[in-house]
Amino acid sequence: MNPSLSYSLLFVAAALFSIGLAVVITKRHAVVVLMGIELMLNAVNLNLVAFSQYDPSRLQGQVFSLFVMIVAAAEAAVALALIIQVYRHVKTVVLDELTDLKQ
Amino acid sequence: MEGFFMAFYRMGWHRTAANYVRFIANLRSFLSLLSMNTASYLPSDYIPIFIQLSLALGFIVVTMLVTHNIGPKRHSVKKDDPFECGIPTQGDARAPISIKYFLVAILFVLFDVEVIFMYPWAVNFMQLGQEGFIQMVLFMGLLLAGFYYVIRKGVLKWE
Amino acid sequence: MTFQTYDCLQMLPIILLSLSGIALLFLGFQKSRALLLPATLLFLVIAFVANFLDWGKTYMYFRDMLLVNNLAMIFTGVVLLSTFMVVSLSGSLADDEDAQPAEYYAILLFSLVGAIMMIGFENLIMLFVGVEILSVAMYILTGSDKRNLRSNEAALKYFLMGAFATGILLFGIALLYGATGSFVLSGIGNYAHSATNAGGSMLLFYVGMFMLLIGMLFKVSAAPFHFWTPDVYDGAPSLFTAYMSTVVKTAGFAALLRILSVSFSGVYDFWWVAMAVVTVLTLLIGNITAVYQASFKRMMAYSSISHAGYLLIGLVGLSQASKPAIAFYSLAYSLSTIAAFGVLMLVARNRPLNAAVFGDQTTLARTDEHYDAFNGLARKNPLLGFVMAVSMLSLAGIPLTAGFWGKFMVFSAAADRGAVWLLVVAVLMSAVGIYYYFRVVIAMYFREGQTDTIRVAPFYRIVLIAATVLTLALGLLPNLFQGLI
Repeated sequence: MNPSLSYSLLFVAAALFSIGLAVVITKRHAVVVLMGIELMLNAVNLNLVAFSQYDPSRLQGQVFSLFVMIVAAAEAAVALALIIQVYRHVKTVVLDELTDLKQ
Repeated sequence: MEGFFMAFYRMGWHRTAANYVRFIANLRSFLSLLSMNTASYLPSDYIPIFIQLSLALGFIVVTMLVTHNIGPKRHSVKKDDPFECGIPTQGDARAPISIKYFLVAILFVLFDVEVIFMYPWAVNFMQLGQEGFIQMVLFMGLLLAGFYYVIRKGVLKWE
Repeated sequence: MTFQTYDCLQMLPIILLSLSGIALLFLGFQKSRALLLPATLLFLVIAFVANFLDWGKTYMYFRDMLLVNNLAMIFTGVVLLSTFMVVSLSGSLADDEDAQPAEYYAILLFSLVGAIMMIGFENLIMLFVGVEILSVAMYILTGSDKRNLRSNEAALKYFLMGAFATGILLFGIALLYGATGSFVLSGIGNYAHSATNAGGSMLLFYVGMFMLLIGMLFKVSAAPFHFWTPDVYDGAPSLFTAYMSTVVKTAGFAALLRILSVSFSGVYDFWWVAMAVVTVLTLLIGNITAVYQASFKRMMAYSSISHAGYLLIGLVGLSQASKPAIAFYSLAYSLSTIAAFGVLMLVARNRPLNAAVFGDQTTLARTDEHYDAFNGLARKNPLLGFVMAVSMLSLAGIPLTAGFWGKFMVFSAAADRGAVWLLVVAVLMSAVGIYYYFRVVIAMYFREGQTDTIRVAPFYRIVLIAATVLTLALGLLPNLFQGLI
């Protein structure tokens, strides 16, 4: 396992992950941050499916990516509900303008 | 064009792409994953996928063309107006939407995604046999319990 | 390749908790809310008993997905006990028009399933699913006070931080899978042992390991990944803050202990320095920032960060002794924290902040959680004063309380590894801790205040007394867990 690994697979996933990370860190709109997080999770999926090629039992990584998809959907549902709830209070979802908790 | 494909091939991306395609699009090749070697796929093995792809695209294009061309067309000033209900348009189009749409959308996402778990089960249906069937019934039962809760809660009532 | 369905029948707590959660959801459709609290407590007791049915045996369930041994049973017992106490402090939910207790209790039980998965996972899939069940439930409960902007804001921040941490955790898992070809803990452990001996590049493995650890440290709020903690703990309703700071922390540390001791013990030399640095940072930031807080609840948030630091010492000194040490520490910490939050909720409920002061409707539901609220509490309410004082002493680590022995065990586990400088920092920071914990005690006993006698429901009172008695009993009989694991 590993020396014959095709590193180009890793590069694509790592690039996707980094883009998602950059979006999460630099963007201030809650929905855009959520999109960045989804991008990170999809990079993980790509990695899992790619690595699963070298797995003797072959299916583990692919099954894991199924779980990631399900959880991402559940998280997105909760996140959108929270964002709407915050929007009702302050009419904004720009994170820098949510300062009620700062002391 | 060939150069592009060669570069694509040399960087090994075709393997990722192939993995995804195999994984989601074709149940039969998913089954054969268990026994077959990765490298033994021929380009001709992808013909069914291309046929399905062209069918899907073709259906959309044909329906769009047909609906635009087949019906009679009558033009008038009122008719070409974006809103023809008699009241002059006012305000922003991004008016608040009823929260019910949002709830239904979220529920759709949740229940839609759970179906993913049925793919591996359907593919291995024969091997998993009765035990697998019982487990799937349990899973669907839990899902339906959630669905029943949603109905009892009145989320789907539209008034 | 035969499926062992009958395995499931022995994995009782998870199944019972899931089913009783669903049952609670449907109980919520009844008009009367009186049945919800007793039903939840009953379900928790049943799960607690079922948990210990397999005592003394070691089982692998669901085709090597979950491991159940004595250590896992003790951790499960601790989270079930903590939940029992938190739930029994929630009597006021039934009177609150806007609250939906059936859903809250159901979510609590579902999140416990996640916690149990984190405690006994053998496959990284179970770690991921467990972490997510627990976290998503926490996002919802943090935002459960819908009238209160602070609660909603805290939930949104918690979600964004938590999901970000999940992404990092997952990427780590994917890289570990790429390096070792396995999600099974022992498989990863075997790879770590053989690969370090064989030499060669382990870059993928190390990067994956660190990303996984960072993701987990986020969840247990260790510095420098702690910055979400004060805001979230402050904004969440006190009841769920108590739950978050005990159950989530216990489960998180059980998971860390498991993965470090099974998978990464072969590369101990590689990660222990990094973990030690994280520990020192956590201790410094948690304790020193806690000194400057005016709000008791915010102080408890920083205190929970500092306790994460003490628990991390047990992980840095990873050995056979650190397993009972961390379990004991979790129990001691959970008992005192829940008792403290129990008193805080009573005090704060009697002192609603005047909305006019803030001139803002969104703060209507806000209550006074500052130190001043405790002024003179012990005069009129000797019981509440005593309960609070004992839990503060235990959190500070004063002898004759459970907290002292918790610290002692964790420190001695680290001392065996020779990490003396770490212990020096830890002891110094415990001294700092005494300062801010005693501020409450001084306010209660030596300050003047116009507190009235606070009415305490009988069951609430019993739970507070039980937590105090247990804290003192564990302080006198610290050998309770010795030899069990």
